[in-house]
Amino acid sequence: MRRFFAAALCAVLACGLTACGQGGEQSADFYAMDTTMNVTAYGKGAKNAVGEAQTEVDRLESLLSRTRTDSVVSRLNAGTGDRAVGMEVWGLLSAAEKYSIATNGAFDITIAPVVSAWGFTTDHYQVPDQSELDELLANVGSVHIHLGEESIVTLDDGTQIDLGGIAKGYASDCVEAILAKDGVESAKVALGGNIYVRGSKPDGTAWRVGVQDPENSDGFVGILSLTDAFAVTSGGYQRYFEQNGKRYHHIIDPATGYPAESGLTSVTVVAPGNEEGTISDPGHGTMCDAFSTALFVMGEEKAVEFWRSGAYSFQMVLVTQDGRVLVTDGLKDKFEQEDGSGYAYETISRSPS
Amino acid sequence: MPMKRSPEVRPKPADALVALAVLALAAALALSAWGGGRSGGLTAVISVNGQVTETVNLSRLSGPEVRELNANGYTLHVRLSSDGAEVIDSTCPNQVCVHTGHISRAGQSIVCLPARISVTLSGGAENGVDAVLG
Repeated sequence: MRRFFAAALCAVLACGLTACGQGGEQSADFYAMDTTMNVTAYGKGAKNAVGEAQTEVDRLESLLSRTRTDSVVSRLNAGTGDRAVGMEVWGLLSAAEKYSIATNGAFDITIAPVVSAWGFTTDHYQVPDQSELDELLANVGSVHIHLGEESIVTLDDGTQIDLGGIAKGYASDCVEAILAKDGVESAKVALGGNIYVRGSKPDGTAWRVGVQDPENSDGFVGILSLTDAFAVTSGGYQRYFEQNGKRYHHIIDPATGYPAESGLTSVTVVAPGNEEGTISDPGHGTMCDAFSTALFVMGEEKAVEFWRSGAYSFQMVLVTQDGRVLVTDGLKDKFEQEDGSGYAYETISRSPS
Repeated sequence: MPMKRSPEVRPKPADALVALAVLALAAALALSAWGGGRSGGLTAVISVNGQVTETVNLSRLSGPEVRELNANGYTLHVRLSSDGAEVIDSTCPNQVCVHTGHISRAGQSIVCLPARISVTLSGGAENGVDAVLG
């Protein structure tokens, strides 16, 4: 009888070991929103959540894509069909307008035609004529989007929108809500460069998230130890083209129509997970996505000023062209500097020193 | 006075099996705790259209190797070596995979979206990460 008990105990422990090591992990890799995505979840509810997350991202792409002709956004851009876009898209456009106003236009979803003129949406790169840019810039700005009642949206003639700057962030908000609904306590979500980590790793430690060194593909400028957080990085060091010896990257400054030359090479924005999100509410994931682009356009001085205003709750890591890494003090204990990176590290506090 | 051994505690062949099972379980737990699940070396996982097509233990390569990968109308040449991977040329229009450069740490990846080819590193030294921003 005791032998039977001991053998049964072994079997139970072995099952437990298997669950901890592999059986508790569910993971899916897929392409969506013009990027690669991975959702990995652990433990109870993981299997359902990973499947639902992929379905949800596909659903959002069908709503928000600018290149799929049947999407709500494409219909809006074409000026055809019903201008009632539904409360979900209306809410996202409303959030985009809010972030555009907050950043004084540094983030702007109406920059789409200018980005296309540079060829970044078609991969046929070119430097547009100034006259073409001037004409397109006349239709850029959140004032050209009119959010009416009952989810009615109207665009001024010549204005087009592209939600690519917040769609993945919004998707990460939605995936977070799914993980919460399914009771998942540990997960890692990478939607392109948009990261969301839920809880801690199964071994109880924080997730280690590397911030890519814009100047050295082999290295990081540092490693963030994160739990329950969103993080997004914007930089112009991978998606670019060169013409006549000059490099042009894909982050366009809505004020000039040219790639932003703000003195920053990378901006990472970090914010805590949403407290009790519902699937259709843009949250911190959306905000991180919008602000990483906006702060890159704004440059160091304005970005720091914006962060210090405290208007929005987030932390950031700025990498400058002159070799500095600026880390806001809320990340001080979460950011591990990279030895030998060659960067000078500085901590930014709320009050100027 | 010699103590009389109880017949109930005398080892039997079946007890040895249970003891072996416990030892095997202890060894498995120890390996798990020490990271025995790792491959032991830096590994490149090559995926095409989201499906893993090849897993290469880079630490076992005797020298650099170049793989030609074809998918969705594009051709990439990927150089694999013991210290990492890089796309050395690609016929894709945006060249983001080439611009990504050489990667060498677990958690890093190179993605060619037009070709839907990715190379992701795992295992290796303890300086790897769970995810990469950038």
